Amino acid sequence: IHTSTSLQKFGKWEKKNRIVYPPQLPGEPRRPAEIYHCRREIKYSKDKMWYLAKLIKGMSIDQALAQLEFNDKKGAKVIKEVLLEAQEMAVRNHNVEFKSNLHIAESVTGRGRYVKRIRYHGKGMFGIMKIVRCHYFVKLVEGPPPPPEPPRTGFDQAKEYVQQLRSRTLVNTL
Amino acid sequence: LPVRTKKRFSVPEWARELTPEQKEKRLKSLGTIFPEEHVERNFYLACTADIMDPYVPPEGDARLSSLSKDGLKQKMEKLRQTATSQLALRKVKDHVPDFSTKTFPEKAQEIFIEAHNSLANFNKQKLHSLVTERCYPEMVRGNRYKTIRWSFVESLEPPRVVHVRCDSVVNRGNLYGQVTVRMHTRQTLAIYDRFGRLMYGGEQVPKDVLEYVVFERYLVNPYGTWRMHGKIVPEWAPPKDPVIKTVMIPGPTLDPSQEYEEMK
Repeated sequence: IHTSTSLQKFGKWEKKNRIVYPPQLPGEPRRPAEIYHCRREIKYSKDKMWYLAKLIKGMSIDQALAQLEFNDKKGAKVIKEVLLEAQEMAVRNHNVEFKSNLHIAESVTGRGRYVKRIRYHGKGMFGIMKIVRCHYFVKLVEGPPPPPEPPRTGFDQAKEYVQQLRSRTLVNTL
Repeated sequence: LPVRTKKRFSVPEWARELTPEQKEKRLKSLGTIFPEEHVERNFYLACTADIMDPYVPPEGDARLSSLSKDGLKQKMEKLRQTATSQLALRKVKDHVPDFSTKTFPEKAQEIFIEAHNSLANFNKQKLHSLVTERCYPEMVRGNRYKTIRWSFVESLEPPRVVHVRCDSVVNRGNLYGQVTVRMHTRQTLAIYDRFGRLMYGGEQVPKDVLEYVVFERYLVNPYGTWRMHGKIVPEWAPPKDPVIKTVMIPGPTLDPSQEYEEMK
């Protein structure tokens, strides 16, 4: 007799936490742990949330938490809770040794379910307003954050141009 | 005081409050009502909830070498220790005529090895048939996203039946038999986490293990089988190896005015 049902429908991001890799041989380099976490249907705009997600993207988790704590936006509080939850999950369930040894590899926002409502104006006019919700996805990877890419200088561009010129070949000839 | 006004409305005949006798008469005339009997979900107890009268292993078991007199005495201890064990053994033999304390330990060891192999392969159906429902969650808790590699190297001493108990649960004739087998074996265990990193133990590191494993069988059921029920861990057992990673234990919560060194 079926007495209980599942609580929520699992999306693709939640299922990414379930893959199991085969055991590593002793000679291989240690595989860094990856933890996926998300929060669905946050009452905030996805475009406004994107700014915060882009802010956090390459940082270590301590730096990200510090930046979000002193940010004035509404989404900052939500993202901070999500990061703390993910850190807790990592240490408890996914065998991560040091909780500050994590960095944020991907942080992405997505559109949630929109609901349309009537917004009443004067003189009997109305507009249709959308109640906007978003999802927020985070992927934490064990290890120090990767060094930022050096910006492209004029010298790099010149080198690439010369390389392009050198790699030209003659076409349709002997 | 009721207000004397013109009677605007009147309560109809059928809505008026009846006296208790009139009510009873009315109920009887309608006919007797039988309360609806809910068909309850019945359950079947296939195993007991705990080890009855757990065996207390003697101190320093398997520490003394077999060349000294004490060691030999320990080895030659037979099952004729307690009267309750003998009684229980007789009851078990009533229901299961094939049972014998000399052949059972081998079968028990086979069941033990099979159960651990199916745990390593995550073969749930086989594990359920080899291990009771009480022992299954203990074995399987927390293993879902991990790989376990277990292998049995050899048995250092032949296994021995050490303790027999027979008891009934809920009703009087509902007999379950529990037999404790003492096993001294060499095993290797390695647990890898979700990403394939070693969490505990080593593949090539054999460890000597002295265990008291309890097997249980539902005696009244003619098709019952002996299944692993649990293990008895004595108090003097050596502590297990620590896990490979470092774990943080949170300290006491401090006020902003206090220092940790002062608290200590």
